[in-house]
Amino acid sequence: MAKQRKPPRRRKAPAAEKIASKAERSLAKPAKKQSEGASWIDRFTPELIREIEEEVAERLARIPTQLNEFGYDPWGLDIKSIQSAMTFSVLLYRYYFRVEVFGIDNVPRGKVLLIANHAGQIALDAAMIGVATVLEAEPPRIIRGMGEYWLPTLPFVNEAMVRTGSVVGTPKNCRDLLAGNEAVIAFPEGVRGMNKLFSERYKLQHFGYGFMRLALSTDTPILPIAVVGSEEQAPGLANLASIARLLGMPAFPITPTFPLLGPLGLLPLPVKYRIYFGEPIHFRGDSDDEDAAIRKKVLRVKRVIQKALNRGVAQRDSIFF
Amino acid sequence: MTRVLITGIAGGQGQLVAQHLLTTGNGKYRVYGVDRKPWPGRPREIHMTVADVRQRKFEDVIRQVKPDAILHLASVRHFRVHPAVRHEVNVVGTKKLIEFAVEHGVGQIIINSSSYVYGALPDNPYYMDEAFPLSVSRTYPEIRDLAEMDMVATASSWRHPDIAIAILRPVNVLGPHLRSAIGKYLQREYVPTVIGFNPMLQFIHEDDLARAMVLTIAKRARGAFNVVGPGAVPLHAAIRELGSTAVPLPEFALRTTVRTFFRWGLYPFPPGAIDFAKYPCTLDGSNFAETTGFEPRYSLADIFADAHR
Repeated sequence: MAKQRKPPRRRKAPAAEKIASKAERSLAKPAKKQSEGASWIDRFTPELIREIEEEVAERLARIPTQLNEFGYDPWGLDIKSIQSAMTFSVLLYRYYFRVEVFGIDNVPRGKVLLIANHAGQIALDAAMIGVATVLEAEPPRIIRGMGEYWLPTLPFVNEAMVRTGSVVGTPKNCRDLLAGNEAVIAFPEGVRGMNKLFSERYKLQHFGYGFMRLALSTDTPILPIAVVGSEEQAPGLANLASIARLLGMPAFPITPTFPLLGPLGLLPLPVKYRIYFGEPIHFRGDSDDEDAAIRKKVLRVKRVIQKALNRGVAQRDSIFF
Repeated sequence: MTRVLITGIAGGQGQLVAQHLLTTGNGKYRVYGVDRKPWPGRPREIHMTVADVRQRKFEDVIRQVKPDAILHLASVRHFRVHPAVRHEVNVVGTKKLIEFAVEHGVGQIIINSSSYVYGALPDNPYYMDEAFPLSVSRTYPEIRDLAEMDMVATASSWRHPDIAIAILRPVNVLGPHLRSAIGKYLQREYVPTVIGFNPMLQFIHEDDLARAMVLTIAKRARGAFNVVGPGAVPLHAAIRELGSTAVPLPEFALRTTVRTFFRWGLYPFPPGAIDFAKYPCTLDGSNFAETTGFEPRYSLADIFADAHR
């Protein structure tokens, strides 16, 4: 699997030009670590882990946070937890999903609402976007996730989620985070997207309007993101709503491996991720406007993401490379 | 000269506020008190009557003292009495106190409610503001009388716009003079917790809360206010800082144990309290800070160090 196979094809739009050239630069980086002739497994040495740990620590140290004397920020984030979670995520990012990032320069400073497509049964898309913004964005940023209402009720998950910077996705939490100049990520498709069936891949589901009202009321720019790859990582064959209700889960997906192989079946396929960061859009208007007016703005964001998805899907040669 | 009547003055928080009023007020305040138990060794300037807020005698005190402000701290927070007694003191008692106050021309009432009235629910945001519904009865019905007391006071503030009624909802209070509910829970050798849950908890020092109460009187603040200290830490960090040891148990085992032990009087909290060890109940205190200019002086580290004693 040659990394620097060929540069991504040029696009017509000038914005895309910029994205492509950035991609070439970011492509060159992981390639450095490959040594010719060595078996791929030989790369995973303690030195590599230590290198990643150091790199992550160095990047995280550059991110301004509001930690109290016990090391927690006002929303329960703890840098040490992020650091340990990131080592594994970076391995996934570089060697499993081999994430390619486009347009990372579009990530602004200050408050911003990141809006992306959501798929793949488990929220690895959020994790990969989070790794990208820590490792590749200048300045690096920690992405604050807006979690499903169900997550805080799960033992261990609730704590892991909060310590690594996510919160329950209530409007108040989002407003407070944006007021604190944080970068908040939201997936307006929600569970509809996360558990969409394989036949629906790269078809954006209904977008909720809440994110747009929040963006308007807090005067926050929206950064559209298209993630290509995640929608094939765990092909949903069916979603058993009745079992989901029984277990109090938002969805109960059936994939070729889950629940057949038990928890192991949650392991995603080694698809290749391509993440496209679009240009920020600053909407203006009344946050209490009627649904029709909000809908127009929401659809604009949705169109931008759908277009980027279509382009990304059309341009790749394979799901896995 | 402002005449302040404090109910529950012999309690830890009551004594502190009384002393704060005397020392920081520069003689601006005259302090009167009512409590069921006497306060031996109280400063001579404080005039105190031993009475129960449910008794007729209490109305007599209001009639005689003619206070400008009543600071209502007398409420039952423990479970050693029948629930009916809690209701009688906290809900009926507060309602009557407000009625007496209206009758005798008291201009200001401060009710000491609690952050717990919002309840600890999984979908609670961090930093709930005062507009959030008081949902504690959903998971912790044993203390719903606190939410009722809070709502009785809020309703009265609408009915009597000429009286400045303030409802204070302070977060977890710790301090050397206090045996608060959270202190009782955290300051034991082994603290039962739920495996896999570690919510953020906010704390305020007893002295800061006393100052907040004095400020409320001084600024004649009205409405419901969250009173928040310097910040929040996870439950397990608080347990560690207080020198206790957390004993994480599976939720089912914990609920069964707590229910049994509580019934036999071996544990001070009913199982409903467990949700406060699972989910956050953290408040936005900006409204109170803006209205009164309150700023906590004690850091989290100070609070934990002080509570040790």
